[in-house]
Amino acid sequence: MAHYKIMGQDPYWMNFYGLMILTLMEVLAVGADLGPAANSLGTEEKVLTLWILTIIAIPKFIMIAAIFMHLYGDEDSGILTMTALFPAFFILIMVLFVGLTHPNAASGLPDWCRPGNYGL
Amino acid sequence: MGVAIFLFALAGAFKWGEFQGWDKVPLIFVGLGVVGFALLVWWRQDISFGVNGEVFEPKAAGAPFQNIDIRKVAMWVFLMSEMMVFTSLFSTYMRYRLGIASCQTVFESGEWVEGAAVTCFEPASHLIASSWFHIAPGAINTFALIISSFTIVQALRYAKMRDIDEDVRRRKITRYLGTTWFLAILFLTMKMIEWFLGFPLPEFLHEFNHGDSTINSLYTEGYLINADHYQHHEYDTHYLESNGHGLDHDSDLYAMMEAGTHPGGHMMANIQVSATTFYVTTGTHGAHVFGGIIGLSYMTLKAARGGYTPDNAVSIEYFGLYWHFVDLVWVLVFPFFYLY
Repeated sequence: MAHYKIMGQDPYWMNFYGLMILTLMEVLAVGADLGPAANSLGTEEKVLTLWILTIIAIPKFIMIAAIFMHLYGDEDSGILTMTALFPAFFILIMVLFVGLTHPNAASGLPDWCRPGNYGL
Repeated sequence: MGVAIFLFALAGAFKWGEFQGWDKVPLIFVGLGVVGFALLVWWRQDISFGVNGEVFEPKAAGAPFQNIDIRKVAMWVFLMSEMMVFTSLFSTYMRYRLGIASCQTVFESGEWVEGAAVTCFEPASHLIASSWFHIAPGAINTFALIISSFTIVQALRYAKMRDIDEDVRRRKITRYLGTTWFLAILFLTMKMIEWFLGFPLPEFLHEFNHGDSTINSLYTEGYLINADHYQHHEYDTHYLESNGHGLDHDSDLYAMMEAGTHPGGHMMANIQVSATTFYVTTGTHGAHVFGGIIGLSYMTLKAARGGYTPDNAVSIEYFGLYWHFVDLVWVLVFPFFYLY
């Protein structure tokens, strides 16, 4: 359990409020007309929305893992954080390998790799 | 392993939703039996590690987890494997999303003819994020999971409190676990509404929904894993003209239609890949929520009977880790599959 405070308040309640606000921002970002802002940045509205959503998702992810899952503030937090981060290496490889695949791989799958062709 | 056997057998017994014969059915029950056995072992371990009322938690002896609860370490190792499962689903989605031209792009390029299906990527967000009403079930689910993450932490907090009355502790834990259970049920209910049921709108809201009285489900919209003749009104030149939107004047299709080299019409798309990645990823997440409901049902009943004390509160903590992980995955699934 948490033995610390956030701005002098209970960490779970503070985390909860923070997560609710960030989620609300996420939903509002999708509903808002970001077209003019995207044009001024020289990009598409969808790309700008994705960036905003990604930027909001990162602190949400950290807040849940650090405070609700006790990866911060407990005696065993250090080693358990390392444990949780261990797959990050493989995740990075997996995501990087997406970029290494042939550009036409997704649309040019061989027949044996398509649904309905199980009789190898 | 039980889940794997179950899924492989189920995939063998059904093909595109059609029953293929009884030979794989026994294997389905073998898979379910293994899952049931695993749950039984989990339940047995949850009872207690001690004897004669004494409760203790076994600690790891070797490095690097020395003196950390064995079950806590095991839960984290399990969550690591879960991370890999969801990463493979996410990377598959990324690969297809980036590798297959979106239906919007194909439509505006004019490289299609009416009546012949073109393969393109149609993200579910095109339907889901099209209005506040469509996005409502997903948004409610996001808030439901975050609130449930908080309620389970509160259940743990009260379970670990030593300086409160036993009856107060029992009621608080039951209330918080019960709320978590309710929110998990709400999550799956919203999922069913979004996938299969849709929902009617009150009359005063019809004008905000283009005059339509209902919000269609993905099923009704034809967003299915076997959709090779998918049609959407936004890929229909006649609809766009009649509704005042018109075509994008910068698009190739507009130029082709102006030059008389493209007749326009209603584009037909094969969206099997995009629908499959959506349903498999969100379905896998939903299956995890369902697994959580099974655990929560048992834990809530146990709490109602006064089964949790500060000495055995770790059970709630370990389940909480799993539940927070389910929330974490949703934190990524919601923006990338529902909003973008």
